[in-house]
Amino acid sequence: MPESTQPAERRAERSDAERLADHAAIDRLSAELLPALIAKLGATGLGELEVREGGWRVRLRRPGSGVAGGGATRDRRSSERDRDRAARAGSQGAALGLTPVGPGRDGRDGHDGSTNGHDARLDGPTVASSPAVGIFQPRYEARAGTKVRAGDQLGSVDMLGIPQDVVAPADGVVGASLVEPGDAVEYGQELIVIEFATAGAAAAVSEA
Amino acid sequence: MFRKILIANRGEIALRILRGCRELGLEAVVAYSEADRDSLPVQLADEAICIGPADARRSYLSAPAVISAALVAGCDAIHPGYGFLSEDDGFAEVVAAHGLTFIGPPAAVLERFASKAGTRQLLGAHGLPTIPGSDGMLRDEMHALGEAERIGYPVLIKPSAGGGGKGMRMVRTGRELESVLRVCRSEAKAAFGDDSLYLEKWLDENRHVEIQVAIDRYGHGVHLGERDCSVQRRHQKIIEEAPTPALSDAARADLAERAVRAAIAAGYENLGTLEFLVDRDGDFFFIEINCRIQVEHPVTEMLTGVDMVTTQIRIAAGEPLGFAQSDVVMTGHAIEFRINAEDPAHEFRPGAGLVERYHAPGGPGVRVDSHLFSGYEVPPYYDSLLGKLIVWGPDRETAIARSRVALNELVVEGLVTNVSIHQAMLENEAFLAGRMTTNMLDRVGSEAFLAAAARS
Repeated sequence: MPESTQPAERRAERSDAERLADHAAIDRLSAELLPALIAKLGATGLGELEVREGGWRVRLRRPGSGVAGGGATRDRRSSERDRDRAARAGSQGAALGLTPVGPGRDGRDGHDGSTNGHDARLDGPTVASSPAVGIFQPRYEARAGTKVRAGDQLGSVDMLGIPQDVVAPADGVVGASLVEPGDAVEYGQELIVIEFATAGAAAAVSEA
Repeated sequence: MFRKILIANRGEIALRILRGCRELGLEAVVAYSEADRDSLPVQLADEAICIGPADARRSYLSAPAVISAALVAGCDAIHPGYGFLSEDDGFAEVVAAHGLTFIGPPAAVLERFASKAGTRQLLGAHGLPTIPGSDGMLRDEMHALGEAERIGYPVLIKPSAGGGGKGMRMVRTGRELESVLRVCRSEAKAAFGDDSLYLEKWLDENRHVEIQVAIDRYGHGVHLGERDCSVQRRHQKIIEEAPTPALSDAARADLAERAVRAAIAAGYENLGTLEFLVDRDGDFFFIEINCRIQVEHPVTEMLTGVDMVTTQIRIAAGEPLGFAQSDVVMTGHAIEFRINAEDPAHEFRPGAGLVERYHAPGGPGVRVDSHLFSGYEVPPYYDSLLGKLIVWGPDRETAIARSRVALNELVVEGLVTNVSIHQAMLENEAFLAGRMTTNMLDRVGSEAFLAAAARS
């Protein structure tokens, strides 16, 4: 009998200590490490990044190629202009499905209580951006008010006769169009607002 | 003349073209990749348009993106600069098919000179001695080995598209050839989007001398003298100067006149650079023609006072050249130093990052073409050229003395640059005596070279 209870007690003791350590680690991961990794992933153009620290492993993966190729692709610590741009829309990271989330970050819009690190959420509208330089045409099936999933086609940009898909960067509802049909647009330009956006799992935090 | 030009390039050459457009009173639109959003040409341009992501294959090397940008911005011409799409005849053709003008030779002319082997044959037929090379592009390893055997080792593997030393290797044996062929192909593919390679006989002790020509649509052409680009590291030019210390005045004039005559006779049009290897005896061999504005064009501008970029634009617009050979007067001596983000202490590893402080030198005869500014972040995606320091003097000695002063004045903090190699070169006996050959730096090794300069 003692042989069987002793390990169980030890497990309980360990898990107490573990729990504290885990909470500290989760806080640190979400507040510091994730934003830094997301910036890094954007800046390098890599498809996947993995960091191991202690018993934790964090892996960031860019969504599949169907997602609009736009988005911030570099560190912007020196650029006032880019900060403004990012502040205006918050869309660049979203286009990559890489918006940082965590305690104290997504609590503002009632998505609070999402203590589950697997379920990344956006806290408001996001914007679909142009995958190319060319002429924009919206897609009737994705007009304002339509419910869409991340990756759904919202329209296209004609680049010398080659249509490039404009896709929803997140699940949500199609909102305002920021350009008119037939407008000339540049690469990365914001085109269509997606309201009530929720991103799929972009950042997966798991125990190694 | 054009109304509005799309500048489909980046860095210092985008800036140089922007200045040329403004001088001619033309509107210009700078096409940029997402990584160049904060670059100086984009900031200084009246209009700029983002054409794609950092990856050059989807921005600066993407013909559809560049042409689409020109169309939506309402341009009537595209200036490709150097590298990227600048010598792509297919691109020039598509540009023309969309009713735009490619600033460079017309597509048909580019096509005629597209094959380096074919060009050697063509200009050889018009009186230029040529370097032995492979019969067309290398089909596979067997073909490459056979051709190398026929030409005789050592041979140089060269990419058919582009320049700048990418995809280029000198090999002395068949085994070496086999081991680097694939690397050369992938380098060429990455840099130019084209992996065709050919072979050329390698002369061990040679100098690289090139003749600048300008020929209008009506067959009127001049040469603008030569440039000596013998200071190279791994086939990458790092210092260019004119006149060349390698040839007598009579030999220089003879080479330049033969080059421009052959180019006109072969139907060349617009700016062009005919590259020659000059051996120990002063014999010269034509190797290739560059159908674009070159990095080292300011050397010629300093000597002749002819603006190469506006001349190129005027010729592409169909204007007559407007001056004759007798109007071209070359004065003094000019040297260009390529300032690269490369670490000479670590195999010239290219660097990127924040330029914490930048100061450009000045004074008589000193010109700096650069897109740097304090606070600029050099992106890691493109070549390492940060700018060019060009120094003119009434003679070579004065130009060298002024170069020492200017290089000492130049400040680029936050990044490691290759300035130390330039400073070492200005203390090197062979350089001072005008005896540099293209393989000297590689043979001596940069580290030994720097150490020797530090001792003297």
